[in-house]
Amino acid sequence: MSDFVRVAALSDIPDPGKEVFEVDDRFVIVIHAGGQVYCLDDVCTHDDGPLGEGDLEGYEIECPRHGAKFDIRTGAPTLMPATQPTQVHEAKIEGDDIFVRIVD
Amino acid sequence: MSVGTVPSVENWNAEAFNDYVKQLNEPQWLVDLRQEAFESFEGKDWPTRKEEEWMRTDIRGFSLKKFDPPSFTTPVDPASLPSGLLAEGVDIGGQVISLNGKTAVSTINDELKSKGVIFGDFRTVLAEHGDLVKKYLFQGEFDPNFDKFSALHAAYFSGGAFLYVPRNVQVEQPLHVLNLIGDNGVDLAHTLIVLEEGAQATVLTESASLDDDQPGFHCGAIEVIVGDRANLRFVNLQNWGEKVWHFAQQKGCVGQDANLFWTLGALGSRLSKVNQHVALDKPGAHCEVNGVLFTEGKQHLSYHTQQYHRAHSCTSNFLYKAALQDHSRTVWRGMIKVAPGAQKTDGYQRIDNLLLTEHSRADSIPGLEIEADDVRCTHGATTGKVDEEQIFYAMARGYTRKEAMRMIVTGFFQQVFDRITLVSVREALGHAIARRVREYD
Ligand code: FES
Repeated sequence: MSDFVRVAALSDIPDPGKEVFEVDDRFVIVIHAGGQVYCLDDVCTHDDGPLGEGDLEGYEIECPRHGAKFDIRTGAPTLMPATQPTQVHEAKIEGDDIFVRIVD
Repeated sequence: MSVGTVPSVENWNAEAFNDYVKQLNEPQWLVDLRQEAFESFEGKDWPTRKEEEWMRTDIRGFSLKKFDPPSFTTPVDPASLPSGLLAEGVDIGGQVISLNGKTAVSTINDELKSKGVIFGDFRTVLAEHGDLVKKYLFQGEFDPNFDKFSALHAAYFSGGAFLYVPRNVQVEQPLHVLNLIGDNGVDLAHTLIVLEEGAQATVLTESASLDDDQPGFHCGAIEVIVGDRANLRFVNLQNWGEKVWHFAQQKGCVGQDANLFWTLGALGSRLSKVNQHVALDKPGAHCEVNGVLFTEGKQHLSYHTQQYHRAHSCTSNFLYKAALQDHSRTVWRGMIKVAPGAQKTDGYQRIDNLLLTEHSRADSIPGLEIEADDVRCTHGATTGKVDEEQIFYAMARGYTRKEAMRMIVTGFFQQVFDRITLVSVREALGHAIARRVREYD
């Protein structure tokens, strides 16, 4: 497993809010919601939609392409047409910064 | 971002382009052609996942900035280069080897020369037979304006090879082309193959990295023109290292009662986006494509194939097999296109995918676009996992899991291998694949 990498200052991403980053050759969405941070692959498992461009509603993010939804805490699909989870990565707040660690 | 605001990529900007073109020292007609392509490159946006063509292929990690256009100042020592897989044990009639677009070897045997066959690296052939190059370059299916990558290629291409076989000349010995990348290198090879009416030849092309661990960038094109009643066997093995970005336009056109047999092996690269199109231009044209895709790690291979029936009574038969390991991905979009009036078309395309691990994924999208009413066009795609029972039985007979896996993978590819008539190619592909089969738990 790789190391934690600083991706942004906590103040860079409003709560609720999200942004896409490239970490270890991988595009991930970092989400700030409910005082916590979460990180998932920027890939919708239905048909590779750009999940990071989707709307955030509570703990759910909606894929802009065909409307699948995922739980940002677990990556689990919560609405069809996606049936497979998207990969979640570790994310934490340390001081004023957000760190993520890519899980494979 | 609007078209007008596309930023220039520093080491590929207008000034750098002019310096590059000066180095090449080419005739004005080609300089003009490059200039036009460069303007098209500058005016185009990089593709995004919003476009149908790139929807499943994410190239946000690719940055042209990290690479420089090739430079031709220092010569390459051929002795320091590998000789490739496909020519091993084969009596070849000529060879072109390049490293980062620089030619290291360019040979053709005298007998072929005396028959009027022209073969060599692009620069040499251009210097000696400029008119012939002018007659055929970009005259086939390759479109410099297709997207930003094809425009980049048309503006900057260097290296690659040119083969010209005159009317009714039969070339028995295969010709071999090897493009190598090393040391964060760039390969912009343009390979142009022209067979005049009634000619016959076999061409083996392959690409590889000197060091599997080095990043690289390939933006290439292959143009194949098969004249009336000509026969071409064409082999193309993509064996880049795991950090190479591979973008290619591979285009063929086939004349009356002519045959194109095309074998394609795609094993390497970090990400590949290839458009492989064949146009059947005149009645009786025939094309057979046999493709083998084998992926591992986080590789992403995206192949867009098209068989375009433009005349009546043509046949095309495309068969691909893909086996995927680890977290790798393949995207395959196949299209059979039949133009109005192309009656008695017989078109077939099929891809079979074998998923060797839980996290691999294969997307296959076959398509038909038919504008004639007396045709037979069939297509199919299958995706399956390795049958655990088969592994169990093989292991019960004393094979290790890895041996069992290898047998299953080999068996899976057998249908394609049976269609490859060149023994050396079959063996090279077989070995390259067997080497990559992993140990699974
Ligand atoms: S790609 Fe996301 S819902 Fe279809």
